[in-house]
Amino acid sequence: MSLATPDTDAKPEPSLIDRLEGRRLVVVTGKGGTGKSTVSAALGIAAARRGLRTLLIETGGAQGLARALGRKHGRYRVLPVRDGLHLLSMNPQDALEDFVVRQLKLRALYRLVFRNRVIGPFMDTVPGLPDIIQLGKVWDLAQEHSDTGPHWDLLILDAPATGHGLTMLSSPANLMEVTRSGPFHANARRVHDLISDPAQTAIVITTLPEPLPVNEALQLYEGLGEGQQQVAACIVNQVHPAPFEPLGAWDSARQALEGSTHPQLHELVGLTDHWVKTVQRQRQATQRLLAALPKPAIALPYQPHRQLVLQDLDRLAGHFLQGQGLRP
Amino acid sequence: MTRVLVCCGAGGVGKTTLSAALAVRLALEGRRVAVLTIDPARRLADSLGLHTLGDQPQRIRLDTDCEAGEGCLHALVLDVKATFDRLVRRSATTSAAADRILDNRYYRFTATRLTGTHEYMAMERLHELVESELYDAVVLDTPPTRHALDFLTAPDRLARFLDRRVLKVLALPRTVQGMQRLQQNNGMVVSVLDRLVGSSTIREIAEFVSFLEELTDAVAPRVQSVRDELQSARFYLVTTPVPAAQLEALEFLQELQDRQLPFHGYLVNRCSPRPTTVEPPTLPTQLEAPADLDPAAWRAVLDAITRSHEHYGRLARYDDASLAQLRRAAGPDARLWTIPTLAEDASDLDALERLGRHLPGLDSD
Repeated sequence: MSLATPDTDAKPEPSLIDRLEGRRLVVVTGKGGTGKSTVSAALGIAAARRGLRTLLIETGGAQGLARALGRKHGRYRVLPVRDGLHLLSMNPQDALEDFVVRQLKLRALYRLVFRNRVIGPFMDTVPGLPDIIQLGKVWDLAQEHSDTGPHWDLLILDAPATGHGLTMLSSPANLMEVTRSGPFHANARRVHDLISDPAQTAIVITTLPEPLPVNEALQLYEGLGEGQQQVAACIVNQVHPAPFEPLGAWDSARQALEGSTHPQLHELVGLTDHWVKTVQRQRQATQRLLAALPKPAIALPYQPHRQLVLQDLDRLAGHFLQGQGLRP
Repeated sequence: MTRVLVCCGAGGVGKTTLSAALAVRLALEGRRVAVLTIDPARRLADSLGLHTLGDQPQRIRLDTDCEAGEGCLHALVLDVKATFDRLVRRSATTSAAADRILDNRYYRFTATRLTGTHEYMAMERLHELVESELYDAVVLDTPPTRHALDFLTAPDRLARFLDRRVLKVLALPRTVQGMQRLQQNNGMVVSVLDRLVGSSTIREIAEFVSFLEELTDAVAPRVQSVRDELQSARFYLVTTPVPAAQLEALEFLQELQDRQLPFHGYLVNRCSPRPTTVEPPTLPTQLEAPADLDPAAWRAVLDAITRSHEHYGRLARYDDASLAQLRRAAGPDARLWTIPTLAEDASDLDALERLGRHLPGLDSD
């Protein structure tokens, strides 16, 4: 099996977009720095290319998606990105105002309560409230209908990093236990029913082919519990190209080369050695991931570290439109 | 005096590993060091080569004689519930009062499950470590950017939470009379809250808040101490040359400056190894293939060796552009340490020690 070039001998696999068919919501989650925003954006592009009316959502005032797509931060407004693809950058404050205004029908009341000297700070300290309110907005968006059916075919949520991402997903259940009635409780129940339903919601885990990110991806998977069945795929991001194949040739080649007295050769052998070890480390980490996470895995190629442009994302989207699994 | 060193920055830049490496370095310098991670994942344990780390400082075996006054290293992971429980036990007037709080349903959910309390309790745990006077330095590993911002405001938010005026209003409705009085004074507010979360929840929360009122006197000075500790801490901004991480680093720098927290320098992780020459190399023509390699494999290796110069040269140019941008953002006097990518997995003590050599010591300025 080669990581750089997907296995072409196996019979065609369904693509990630095929696997997501019929789902309303995809939650993209993983360790920070594993490329959640890049994966979310590329997935959104892939879905739109497949003809799905798609909305990308980021939370917590994050701007990674807006940045990846070259958009200015929209501040709680749905922005068009390209045909069939829209973007919403959410933040807890606006989501809370939106929620309360909908519930109470009166903006003046929102101001009275949430900008109130006493209650404002109190709401500020209710932990988990921002998560559930933002997920509530996601639920609202999933319900939007036009004459011909749901307004959005697919919502893609770029979730916070693992740990906090898991906390976000469990926030509805927690809030349901804390509140027993009222709109917050009802909101939590609705959200819970949506995000824990395998028929409606899929989870995509992003990781890097590196030891610690793989550990964290596995911990995340473990922590999902029943949610494991909702995991549609694991995306292995930034897979380095191999300098040559087979890598096994390196040991004896290096020995032969180290014998040379050529001045520049020493440095080149050092650089190549770094390259080979990087790829070996990545392959070991990936094998460990594949052995412990029984889900489709998709490799995305290493992108030299520069700001990605839409063209790069389009190319990455291609990996989600074709069956290109890492498994033999 | 305990020196507090805070490693902050975006997710995935290697904060946890560098925090551990920094702690190892300081311990090998002869300091008594504790490293605290508040990350719910167990990356610190991973990088120290341990399976688990707990709430209590655990001694990490280094080649130093701790008892003889040489450096030592302890590591721990924030346990939110345990820290909060200790805070309650220490601050409650009687042990019965402490028990009541620990049994409160809202307290139990708040303390263990919901987002936000991690940040409050990290501050509390940090303060405990400083207060113990057992350490010359405490290295604090923080969660990724967005949450780290909460974490920095935690003392202020906690202070507001414990503001007596807030408590007075919310603590009242444990009784029917209390609820009536609250409604008389804040009728509209209460009825709106009631419609949002339900009155039973308000009572549960109010009960919890009234318990907290008993803690206010004990906790308020602690919040002030934490704030003072942060003002005299050193904030290292961990980043990598990757554009996304870098943009987040610059946002973070802005936050530090806005909050007037002392930025001490960048730790730029995962810098690529770089060729020493600009010109592509010419390989000697007479290189003999080893006997056990077939000619095709040997040619592939030689080709890769030539390309390695171009490959790493390109990465070095990206690195340089990033470093220049970081310097521009922080001003001409900004300190910047570059840490090379290790080819091998960085999850053992030797690797941490090697990384630590690239990091600033306690006396560095």
